[in-house]
Amino acid sequence: SSVCSVSPKSAARPKQNPCGGDPPHLRRPSGMERSAAGASYQRFPRVRIRELKDEYAKFELKDTDASMANALRRVMIAEVPTVAIDLVEIESNSSVLNDEFLAHRLGLIPLTSSAAMSMRFSRDCDACDGDGSCEYCSVEFHLAARATDSGQTLEVTSTKDLRSTDPKVCPVDQQREYQQALGNVDAYEPDAAGDHRGILIVKLRRGQELRLRAIARKGIGKDHAKWSPAATVTFMYEPDIRINQELMETLTLEEKQSWVESSPTKVFDIDPVTQQVTIVDPEAYTYDDEVIKKAEAMGKPGLVEINAKEDSFVFTVETTGAITAYELIMNAITVLRQKLDAVRLQDDDGDLGELGAHLIGG
Amino acid sequence: MNAASFTIEREDHTIGNILRMQLHRDPNVHFAGYKLPHPLQYKIIVRIHTASQSSPTQAYTQAINDLDKELENLKQAFEANTFE
Repeated sequence: SSVCSVSPKSAARPKQNPCGGDPPHLRRPSGMERSAAGASYQRFPRVRIRELKDEYAKFELKDTDASMANALRRVMIAEVPTVAIDLVEIESNSSVLNDEFLAHRLGLIPLTSSAAMSMRFSRDCDACDGDGSCEYCSVEFHLAARATDSGQTLEVTSTKDLRSTDPKVCPVDQQREYQQALGNVDAYEPDAAGDHRGILIVKLRRGQELRLRAIARKGIGKDHAKWSPAATVTFMYEPDIRINQELMETLTLEEKQSWVESSPTKVFDIDPVTQQVTIVDPEAYTYDDEVIKKAEAMGKPGLVEINAKEDSFVFTVETTGAITAYELIMNAITVLRQKLDAVRLQDDDGDLGELGAHLIGG
Repeated sequence: MNAASFTIEREDHTIGNILRMQLHRDPNVHFAGYKLPHPLQYKIIVRIHTASQSSPTQAYTQAINDLDKELENLKQAFEANTFE
């Protein structure tokens, strides 16, 4: 069954319905096959990773088109699975927040989800009834906090109070603390100064109590944003900027200066030695057309030509910490391939069933 | 003219658009398009017209195979890039 399906698996298999039938003589299996038919039109995209941190990645994707870039972006945001709290049984809640409010807040806490790809969706799990009793599809959490009689307000947080029964799946800040204790902190990720308090769930005053049992399940961002591993995923077309240097040399230094400054982002600069206009950062260009309008206003149309390269993209990926940026990219490719596999025509669909037999048989 | 409409249940623009663009790369395909008939219905319709030496089913299967190979390639490209 399809990984992306959101309905019960009984209906998960995609169907293909022929609406336009082919003329009978074209459907004959013995028909002549020209060489062009069945040839491969596959592309070989190139990748260059510019930056790769635990929760951030920047890379170039070339030799493919916007449909592929956008499919990857969409899958990263909405279809790569993670684990999040989905069911909460409140045993006792005398806090100021109501039960539903707390359940919602618990759901939004990112949990370490490296295991999510190999877990089952609880609706597809036949080892349990999706009630959290099974290790394949769910993880149980406990939370018990009580503000004692001191005058201090008690902060209930994801780091301190939310206890997982499976060490693989825990709030991301607990994992980070654990890694720091082991000394496994990335050298290039300087310890985010200060805040180790984790995510605040609720504050308790004297005598207030919160006790609950929660079940975390595998899910995808399409069903609820709490399951999205992506904080942001963006891509931009790589711009191809060409300055007409001959025309540029007809400008005075002041004119050049004012043209360079017309760009809201720092794309161009003036070489202090040669006084030539240079491109310092093409990717800072936001396709705002300001420099083009400025050139026209100065009576110098064609001073610069800017085109988006249609087969070259710059991606930035940020995750919530549930999985690493690298895992997010790789899982997105895997999920997209699973989706493609799910929409393949089945062998028995190939002859279009009864209609096909009718068409071939005449 | 060889023409067919494929209804793909439980898919959206993610699959629809890459499939359409891949079909456009096939010179036997005279027309390829997809539509999401209604935002609340979780299905898309892909329409394919092909030249007589091909067929919509053949073009469809070929497009999926090519996309799958492209993604396999992409995965390897990422792995090669990270561990170098």
